[in-house]
Amino acid sequence: MDLINVEALTFQNRTKSMWSKSKVTFDLGPVSFNVKSGETLAIVGNNSSGKSLLAKLLVGLETPKSGKIFMNGVELNKSNISVRCHDIRMIFQNSNDSLNPGLTLGSILEEPLRLNTKLNGQQRRSLIEQTLRQVGLMAEHQFFYRHMLSDGQRQRIALARALILNPKVIVADEPFAALDPSVRSQAVNLLMKLQRDLGLGFIFISHNLGIVRHISDKVIIMKDGKVVESGKTDAIFNWPKNEYTKKLVDSHQALINGQNNQR
Amino acid sequence: MVLLDIKNLTLEIDISSEWVKALDKINMVIHEGQIHALVGESGSGKSLIVKAIVGALPKRWRITADRMTWKGQNLLTMSAKARRKLIRKDISVIFQNPIESLDPSLTLGKQLKEMLPRDQLTKTWFWQRNDEKQALAIKLLHKVGIKNHQLCLASYPHQIANDVVQKFMIAMALASEPKLIIADDPTRGMEVTSKTQILKLLSRVNQVRGMSVLFVSHDLLAISSMASYMTVLYCGQTVESGDLKQLRKRAFHPYTQALLDSAPSFRKDLPPKSPLSSLDGTIPTLHHLPIGCRLGPRCPRARRECVETPQIRRVHTHFYSCHFPLHWDAK
Repeated sequence: MDLINVEALTFQNRTKSMWSKSKVTFDLGPVSFNVKSGETLAIVGNNSSGKSLLAKLLVGLETPKSGKIFMNGVELNKSNISVRCHDIRMIFQNSNDSLNPGLTLGSILEEPLRLNTKLNGQQRRSLIEQTLRQVGLMAEHQFFYRHMLSDGQRQRIALARALILNPKVIVADEPFAALDPSVRSQAVNLLMKLQRDLGLGFIFISHNLGIVRHISDKVIIMKDGKVVESGKTDAIFNWPKNEYTKKLVDSHQALINGQNNQR
Repeated sequence: MVLLDIKNLTLEIDISSEWVKALDKINMVIHEGQIHALVGESGSGKSLIVKAIVGALPKRWRITADRMTWKGQNLLTMSAKARRKLIRKDISVIFQNPIESLDPSLTLGKQLKEMLPRDQLTKTWFWQRNDEKQALAIKLLHKVGIKNHQLCLASYPHQIANDVVQKFMIAMALASEPKLIIADDPTRGMEVTSKTQILKLLSRVNQVRGMSVLFVSHDLLAISSMASYMTVLYCGQTVESGDLKQLRKRAFHPYTQALLDSAPSFRKDLPPKSPLSSLDGTIPTLHHLPIGCRLGPRCPRARRECVETPQIRRVHTHFYSCHFPLHWDAK
């Protein structure tokens, strides 16, 4: 049974003008994939290839032109938007900017609970403390503000905000890009552990092919809004078929082996 | 030949009426024609070292060093004017974040022509100068692999893609034909293909013209593909420095080992989805620096002696500062 199933999703960005015909400025080609529970899907591609747009379409920030998204066999549309808000959560690019500097972390985490659940204040507070502990922070962190935390801790708060509603799928836009190497492996470990424990489906966007290769089961390669190649991580990295994918994998390999070739 | 020789560089910053050592006894030697990598996480003082070398730090900060020389000339005691002249001629810096470090109100062409040193211009008459500058600028752009030079020279920094601006910055750095190029995190936030282009460009400059490169980054993958020598920084202390091959094969300091382990691409035997090894905790801020070895609270091998700052020890060309180095127990 697929946890999330996307069929021929398309999106068009048009410039609107009063006199002339509207022009298509960006075209996200038909995208189809499916993710089972406990699986990780990575989206790889150039800048401006529509990766972040695809993530936004999945969580419902943008409306697709055509195509369907199924969640456990049920189609997601306007009538069941609350289900979608509850089950698909997003971690935004640059966790630093996506946290409100004027609110305590506790109230940042409380917001999704107030909007999506019928818990009372006491239950909300205990759930916040539990989630903070789950991502490796302390319960006292709910009284902190954004600027009091380090980069890694902010990333954990962004993860906690995604986890607090107990979702089935997490969509993350470059979750590891802003982190330093030693903190990055902590974040990767945490995500893999939570995925193992909770059976989450995890969809993430990354430039770092080393991490993609390490944690993902499937990969989608995108270029200019079109899906160039998709498949199992092993197959893509070992036997790339498309020209563009080959170039990506080769340049990654060249970086790893560069030392041996040069000297 | 030794170009830049730094010994015990210490930089003190005052934070709320208290002097904190942001850099603590940094040692670094850059030879001619060498690619030297400076590795460290954010907040470890990489950019501060770069700024200390070119003298772009605020005057109220205290800089002291036992030795800081450029080809035998002492950089700290020379007058500001002489230093500026020397650095203009011999050292170029590619600053972090290229789009923000360029002037947004001038076209790229104007900024590049401004960088051309006067002794490269041979024509004397004023009507010839502009043409000559234009020709030199186009030649520079072709050297770094920008084909569409007309568009590039006529546009403003925000109008072009990030990796093209990065190449343009390299062209600007090459304009004065320096002896040393300092590249401060040139590949940050790039995807793999444009990253390899930039790296290839830098190593070609190094090979063809024999320029030294000081490559500052935290991307170990990029570093290991081009550099020959590496210095690892942690919180303003040099932790380990040595030949890159040796460091990768046998790192003595626990922090270097942790950095190497954090890149999953380096380890082919690693099964997918297995947990990566990592250090606990995060980098301390300048307000809360631990005493002694600054890695102390995060180090898996820390013992009581680590509250004293370790001396720098040496094995051939490999320097490290740790009381209990890795790979020593067996011997």
